[in-house]
Amino acid sequence: MAEHNQKSSLPVYLLTGIFLLILCVAVSIGILIMPYEKAQTYLNIVFMDQNMKIAPSSGLNGLVIKENEIETPPVSDIPEEQQKFYENGKIIRPAFGEQYAVLKCDDISLSVPVYWGSTSELLERGACQTSSSVVLGENGNVVIDAHVNTFFADLPKLTPGNTIVLYTSYGIFTYQVSEKIQFLNTDKKYVLPTEEDRLTLYTCEAQVLGTSDNRTGVICTLVSKQFYNPAEETNP
Amino acid sequence: MTKIKYYFPKILLTFLLIFLLIGTELSLLAHQSFLTYKAFETVTVQQHLDEKAYTAVENYFKSRANSTGIPAEVYLNAITQENMKQGILSSVSEAFDYLHHDVKTYAFTMDFTALEASVTEFFNQYAEENGYQKDEVFQQKVQANIQEAEAKILYIADTFKFGTVAEHGWLTKLRQFLDIFKKIMTVLCISTGVILILLLLCCKENFSELFYWLGLTGIISGLLISVPCLYLLGTDYFSGFVVKDAQIFSAVVGYLQYMTHQISTAFLITGITGIIFLILFGIIQKAKRDILPRL
Repeated sequence: MAEHNQKSSLPVYLLTGIFLLILCVAVSIGILIMPYEKAQTYLNIVFMDQNMKIAPSSGLNGLVIKENEIETPPVSDIPEEQQKFYENGKIIRPAFGEQYAVLKCDDISLSVPVYWGSTSELLERGACQTSSSVVLGENGNVVIDAHVNTFFADLPKLTPGNTIVLYTSYGIFTYQVSEKIQFLNTDKKYVLPTEEDRLTLYTCEAQVLGTSDNRTGVICTLVSKQFYNPAEETNP
Repeated sequence: MTKIKYYFPKILLTFLLIFLLIGTELSLLAHQSFLTYKAFETVTVQQHLDEKAYTAVENYFKSRANSTGIPAEVYLNAITQENMKQGILSSVSEAFDYLHHDVKTYAFTMDFTALEASVTEFFNQYAEENGYQKDEVFQQKVQANIQEAEAKILYIADTFKFGTVAEHGWLTKLRQFLDIFKKIMTVLCISTGVILILLLLCCKENFSELFYWLGLTGIISGLLISVPCLYLLGTDYFSGFVVKDAQIFSAVVGYLQYMTHQISTAFLITGITGIIFLILFGIIQKAKRDILPRL
């Protein structure tokens, strides 16, 4: 009798274990579902980077910097048969962190690569065009800045009438300095979008005793747009 | 009906024991392991936080040199990796001092004597070389520069972000919680003991059955906690942390992984203990079966 009881209790023991496990899982889910739903939004934000689980070590914080070879021959040096430009042309939009232009000004012997986007890493490498301004070739305000102790050290030497040329892989854009400007770093009026085509260059005011809140720069008006390729025709 | 009467109290007690064991074990782990200064110190060493923090300081002052003209060496010669390690550990010890009511407010600082001397020397030298008047404005600028540099270094050294936690009042809330945490832990330990005694009393007619119920408790509580923990570790979930500053990322992710690893290890041991209890129960049952026919 006792042996029979022992044998018959084996499935009971098994079923009891499974029943208890299911019960505990169900109760745990029941208890945690409400707090989890509340925390889910925060968890999704805090641990949102599930597709890029790279431990940061380079200090670039996920930024991909791309260098490009951009030729900068003076227009006069280009052979006549190749001097075929278009006033409206195809614009190649750069990716964030990509070098997409070279800024040259012979009047102050300036030649600096221009990156799309503005971060401290990119400012180490050249001038940066804020991605809230328009791409060269589009209508509006092109805003470029750089450090005063490196690439834009001579920017304050620019005077109205100086010529600035920006070379890209899709065209050459020439501007003329029209106005010198000074503004506070909190004043956004010069970096806001404009209807007229203009180029705004600025840097920090040189000040060795710490950083300055003042910005100094120039506003340039568009002289010419020279695209290498015509704009793609769209079907009506 | 008899079987239900026989099993129900034991099932109920085991059910309660499972959750009480989870609570007790987690609270003991928190108290002894991951809510301690030692845990943060381990993460600091394991994740090389001092090295990462120093690199961040280095990058910051090198980048700043482009806009201020002050060479990065003025700051970097006065700050070492060891200073950063002391700073990180100091931010942790200050936080624990505050949590344990040893200090009234959370205020974390570092020794900046060398930095202040270095910056002052640079400015004085600059002023002398360039004929700059050392007037009140000059002194204010020197002080402003020192304060700015110190604030940045403190910000970087606070890798576990206790400063931010304190700013938002969460450190005070944590302190209030820790005040009642020990009481909760005591209640949990006593409750677990009481349930164990009750289970023992229920099994007094068939003492070997206690191994079965304890085995179930161990296995189920082990599964309930270690499975989600192993999922988090296996999928590397914490590495999806959105803040990508090397020192903060390593500190936060390193600590969360350390904590999850501790919990999963403890509950895997609990689960294995449960399996051992079940095996013991099986051996005893088999022995009884073998002995009974001879009686």
